[in-house]
Amino acid sequence: MSGFVDKNRKYLIVLAVFLLLFWLVTLQVKAGRFTLFERPVLAVSGFFERIITGIYNSGLSVVKRYVFLVRTERENSRLRDEVTRLRLENQITSELLAENERLREALAFQKEASRSGVTVHVIAKESSPASVTFTVNKGSLQGLDRDLPVVTPDGVVGKIQTVLPETAKIQLITDPGSIIAVRVQRNREEGLLEGKLDRCMLKYVSYYMDVQEGDLLVSSGLDGIYPKGMPVAIVTKVRKHEASSFQTVFAEPVVRFARLEEALVLKK
Amino acid sequence: MTFYFYTVLFLLLLPLQASLLAPLSRIGLAPDLGLAVLYLIGILAGPVEGALAGVATGLLLDISSASLIGMSGLTRGIVGLAAGFLGTSILDTGSPSNMIFLAFFSFVEAFMTTLYLDATYGAFPLLSLFFGHILPRTAVTAITGYWLLRIALRKNVLGLIRRRELQKEL
Repeated sequence: MSGFVDKNRKYLIVLAVFLLLFWLVTLQVKAGRFTLFERPVLAVSGFFERIITGIYNSGLSVVKRYVFLVRTERENSRLRDEVTRLRLENQITSELLAENERLREALAFQKEASRSGVTVHVIAKESSPASVTFTVNKGSLQGLDRDLPVVTPDGVVGKIQTVLPETAKIQLITDPGSIIAVRVQRNREEGLLEGKLDRCMLKYVSYYMDVQEGDLLVSSGLDGIYPKGMPVAIVTKVRKHEASSFQTVFAEPVVRFARLEEALVLKK
Repeated sequence: MTFYFYTVLFLLLLPLQASLLAPLSRIGLAPDLGLAVLYLIGILAGPVEGALAGVATGLLLDISSASLIGMSGLTRGIVGLAAGFLGTSILDTGSPSNMIFLAFFSFVEAFMTTLYLDATYGAFPLLSLFFGHILPRTAVTAITGYWLLRIALRKNVLGLIRRRELQKEL
């Protein structure tokens, strides 16, 4: 026995490490994700990411500025920011109008406090087979905090998961750990939208609930994180099972994460 | 020396993958650099070093992303171990067949993780993930890994590291 152990000591250590990791994963399924060593690792990787992205963007910008006229490029950039801001305002206004109409009918009025935002640029996209997160170029020094919602004029991106002084990690709505309270815009039916890596799934949708392909899901604000009325996803597939009291509803996020370069973090 | 080399390499891999290769992810063609390097370590350095390197890269990936801590550590550890055993069994480490083996490892890792998530959280769109993410990533990772292996063999990277370590010890 001791001969076997001596002979295979290294492999036994490896096996023990594997078992330990398996136990760790199983623990987290119940207790939630641990954040061991998250800050030091993100600080180091964030430091290099900012350098690499800085060099990459500088190179790209030099080429761009020589190819195009400098003024036009600046003006274009300013106008794009303006359009982004206006589209976001428009989106919020449309939803507020619809809400206003409903509330008028019910003879009740509600005023939602406006939230200020911080524009952030995506500097890295980390992806593993089990999750996808983005790192942005601003952190606690710019007033960002954990669980703040991240949006674009198109809709919801996700929320801030970890904050460092100069960077922050965003958990996308497609991440398996993400859950967001939503509402079907057409008929105000409610549900919980869970991430499924490349899309989302509406959970606990009863068999009789009216959900159709093409329906827009907007945030309901009930989770206390995302502002009410922001577009989140579009229903792409609805499956009803005779044997189940629930239906399976898949939805595609309205924001195209692959092309995401900048976003807005909404402060409280 | 080997320890410091691996530490720097693994810490640099994360930002390289996340920032420099991010534009490629727009078209779904970003290789898994960590897995490719891990395969290389397994093939060249053996099963135990491969497994430990896999655990280290996987844990760093878990910490920097939002996945459960230990999930990639475990799957990558197994990949490193398997690549190490493969390295001790094959005669030609520079053979193009490495592309097939790496593609197989990449596929199995991603598929097993997705199956685990499906079993844990339920209702994962396996088919769309398979064709939309796993398959393209597997192919690009296999090509990148083979290319890196060819460079490493040509420059004898591991030999250089080991030689310096031995010189220091002597």
